[in-house]
Amino acid sequence: MLKKDALYLRYAYNDLIKNKGVNVALFLILMISAFLMATGAMVMERSLGSVDALFRQALPPHFLQMHKGGYDADALDKFASERPEIESWLIEDMIGFDGVGISWRRPSTGETGDFSASLIDNLFVTENQDFDFLLDGAGTIPQPATGEVYVPVGYQRDFGLQTGDDLRIRTDAGSQELTVRGFVRDSQMASSLSSATRFLVSEKDFRAMASAGGGDPEIIVEYRLSDTALTSQLQTAYESDDALPKNGQAVTYQMIRMINAFSDGLVAVALVFVSGLLMVIALLSLRFVIRGTLEDEVREIGVMKAIGLPHRSITGLYLSKYSVLALLGCIIGGVLGVIASQLLTRSVQVNYAPAPVGPMTFVVPVAALVVVYLIVIAMCRGVLRGVRRVEVVGALVHGNTSTEKQSARRAKRWARRARRTDLASAGGADMNRRLALLDLRAEVGQWVLIPVVFALAAILIILPTNLLTTFHNPRFVTYMGAPQSDLRADLQFSDDLDTVHRQVLSRMEADDRLTAVRDFANLLYETPGEEGWESLRVEVGDYSAGTVEFLNGHKPGTGEIALSVMNANKYGLSAGDEMSIRRRSGDSTESVVVSGIYQDVTSGGYTAKMPGAVTTGAVGYVIYADTTNDAEPAALAREYSDNYPSAAVIPMREYVQQTLGYVTSAFLRAAILAVVFGVGVALLITSLFLKLRLTRERTKMGVLTAIGFSSRELASQVRFKVLLTTVAGALVGAVLAATVGESLVGAVISQAGLGIASLDFIPNPWLVYLAYPLMLIAAGYTGAVALTSRLRAPDKSAWLKGSPG
Amino acid sequence: MAEGITGVSTSSSTCATLECQDLTKTYYSTDPPTQVLNGIDLTVEAGEFLVVMGASGSGKSTLLYNISGMDRATSGRVFLQGRDLTSLNDTEMSQVRLTQMGFIFQQSYFLGNLNIRDNILLPALKAAPHRRDAAIGRVDALMERFGIVNVKRHGTTEVSGGQLQRASISRALASEPAVLFADEPTGALNSSMSAEVMDALTDVHAGGTTIVMVTHDPACAARGDRVIYLRDGQLIDSRELGTWTADQAAEREDALLAWLRELGF
Repeated sequence: MLKKDALYLRYAYNDLIKNKGVNVALFLILMISAFLMATGAMVMERSLGSVDALFRQALPPHFLQMHKGGYDADALDKFASERPEIESWLIEDMIGFDGVGISWRRPSTGETGDFSASLIDNLFVTENQDFDFLLDGAGTIPQPATGEVYVPVGYQRDFGLQTGDDLRIRTDAGSQELTVRGFVRDSQMASSLSSATRFLVSEKDFRAMASAGGGDPEIIVEYRLSDTALTSQLQTAYESDDALPKNGQAVTYQMIRMINAFSDGLVAVALVFVSGLLMVIALLSLRFVIRGTLEDEVREIGVMKAIGLPHRSITGLYLSKYSVLALLGCIIGGVLGVIASQLLTRSVQVNYAPAPVGPMTFVVPVAALVVVYLIVIAMCRGVLRGVRRVEVVGALVHGNTSTEKQSARRAKRWARRARRTDLASAGGADMNRRLALLDLRAEVGQWVLIPVVFALAAILIILPTNLLTTFHNPRFVTYMGAPQSDLRADLQFSDDLDTVHRQVLSRMEADDRLTAVRDFANLLYETPGEEGWESLRVEVGDYSAGTVEFLNGHKPGTGEIALSVMNANKYGLSAGDEMSIRRRSGDSTESVVVSGIYQDVTSGGYTAKMPGAVTTGAVGYVIYADTTNDAEPAALAREYSDNYPSAAVIPMREYVQQTLGYVTSAFLRAAILAVVFGVGVALLITSLFLKLRLTRERTKMGVLTAIGFSSRELASQVRFKVLLTTVAGALVGAVLAATVGESLVGAVISQAGLGIASLDFIPNPWLVYLAYPLMLIAAGYTGAVALTSRLRAPDKSAWLKGSPG
Repeated sequence: MAEGITGVSTSSSTCATLECQDLTKTYYSTDPPTQVLNGIDLTVEAGEFLVVMGASGSGKSTLLYNISGMDRATSGRVFLQGRDLTSLNDTEMSQVRLTQMGFIFQQSYFLGNLNIRDNILLPALKAAPHRRDAAIGRVDALMERFGIVNVKRHGTTEVSGGQLQRASISRALASEPAVLFADEPTGALNSSMSAEVMDALTDVHAGGTTIVMVTHDPACAARGDRVIYLRDGQLIDSRELGTWTADQAAEREDALLAWLRELGF
């Protein structure tokens, strides 16, 4: 090691020991920022790695179409042979069973349970031959023997299933019993946003279940393409071919990937967001500390300059300390990040596949930490440039860092301000408060750190919670393309769809526990797109009553159509534009006017709404209803589901929670994390600030003590200043979170390609705009109380400059 | 005064303004602990101008801050007009400093965000918030007396060192204290400004105010009625100078210097 470096390090060490409190606080803030940044980077890398690993092994389809009922196999053959981009394709037979009909039992303990709590479809399948494999924990393609079943890993987690448990499936011919042999991961249905999950059984058991009856047979037609870019072209071709089966959902590779990445990527995005805000706070604090240090040590700097040390050496001396702090923060934060990211990605690793450890596993978090380190050092260098401006005489004689000119200007400013004060004519305001206010005014440049940090901390803790409550709120369905209601009946994918629809609708309309029954049909239209006519899913019904919120424009009237954000973007249309549609190939084209744009996250975000009578022949129906005061939506939903097994009737609240359950739980974690760190940082920064501020105000406090102010009064002045600045900061932060924060989060969400272009928060005002700011203020005040309690020192003369002789 | 009340008098000399008995001060923050005052017994009579001298590190400023209650003595007792200051809590002691003590320091410590007049007014207003007009009248009279009325609206960076120190004296007198403590009041001033300040202090003393002043400067010390000399925290000697007059100034200073030399100053 060079002699100079050794000197720098020794200086850094001595200084770190000397100012323990301040340095520990700075280190903690830097470490938390680095920790969150590294964790965010690692979670992102691990999640994407897991998803990619599963995709590589399981080979999910690039396009799939679900279907219920009979189909023309020859038409599928013909379609595949005419499309050269299709590399391989398959038809997967599945049998769906309701969760209520599947129970489990643990022979060793006699424990039992069923899957009724799960609202998603339970589909029994056999292993595919060419692609779309279900994989076990080791990443191999399991082939269950007769009497064995592989259960989705999600159910292993949710219901605590174990290998060796018995599964009993209720069929029309009695119970079919299978033994759980293991657990499988599913590339296309792994996400908790998926509406179905697959169980793997042997060919023999599958045939037995199919012939026993009681389940819903269903197929998925799946395609692997030579180029994933051709997916939408294939989808259009498929949907425009009348001979092909398509009364179920169509899903593309992009949608599978997006849904998978979205649910887990959100945690990473939230972590990076929190880390970003903390970084700003850390940088502001560092700047404050360095400037203060330069002021405190100006005489030493003057001496160093006087003996001829160049700026670079003096700067290096100070920089060494902050480099050590930042480096330690990054290293320890990074190590903690490894532990945290392992905890956070545990479920991803189970649901998908263990992410392979590659160069990126190390490069990504290290790069994130290097960025943190470099930003901190760049900021330190910037502030330390002030050393260059220090004039030897000014430093040694007057002890200030400013040049003659700057000092003169400052003196004038102070004098001007002092001339304006007038204690003699002031009203009866408390002298302590008056002095505190005067102080704040005079030292606004120093104290501004507190409101800025508190505003940032308020934004930090409010935004994730606002997002959480927004996603949790029943009104959020209006972002999901559904009107606000208590009950939602979803009818699709059954042979006797129209009959069931008629029965359910008439029963609901006659039910005096239900009001405002609204019936909508989903029809497939076509509209000209980039590559010819493309299919367009249109919801038809009566929109005169309340419906979804429109971003712009209004609900559709006669001759009008409302488009989802994704469709409006896809076709480049906005309210007032004309759009050509046709019912099917060969039909006459009609022209409709776009009445408005709304947000929708269902069906991949690509939907439309048109007024019209609900007739038969739709691909699906949705009925919304409100319940009367004394009717319980959950009980009604159960009753209707029991009577009409092919209709999915669920309370709206549950619909939102089931669809967004994983997302909201991710936000919950992010929100808790943000509150803990936000409040912690508020306390830390207040303490750090006061520690330095009180040291610098010692002389003034010594004078006030000599004049006759007690320690209690001095403390009350400081606490009053802290209270004012923290309240101001927290309020500004709350206002910013509600205004700018909302637009900012809205912009991020709209970029996520979910079909939400504008997000209006549905906050819990008492919590975020009252309780949270109060928590922050309480944290700041606690710091102030702790720090000012030291003012009760017995020897106050030491506060006055010049040690007692 | 009744027994049992905080600060009840047990002073040996009831006519003394200030008295300390067996005062010691030890700083335990050093290793080994440093004993700065070692059993000081001292009485300051009402209206007396007492000067504390000694070499650097002898404990003179420490003595001043311990008898004024700025610092807490390690042991021993301090009485102000018969009241035991060592038994007072922080708030009570602050009240004593506010109403019965005034301070002048080597540096003119002022609040930079207040003008000269407000700085002087601050203790007076705090001491008697309901007698505002009286306080203002008294402060204006003090500023007039010490020749700084023309800078009363000025900021603290706009006046000379001498003016600032005269403002310090005004502030120290604003609450009409029983004792004025001065710690090297001319230490940072040139000779003409020093003379200005010492004239002001002599004037205050002539008005009957008790003064305890720490100084290095024999010329300043010659203004006092009595000089005590400290060495290593102990009171070594004391010398009565009698009442100061301008025409005897040189003689007093010479005599004092001779005495100080004897003591090894």
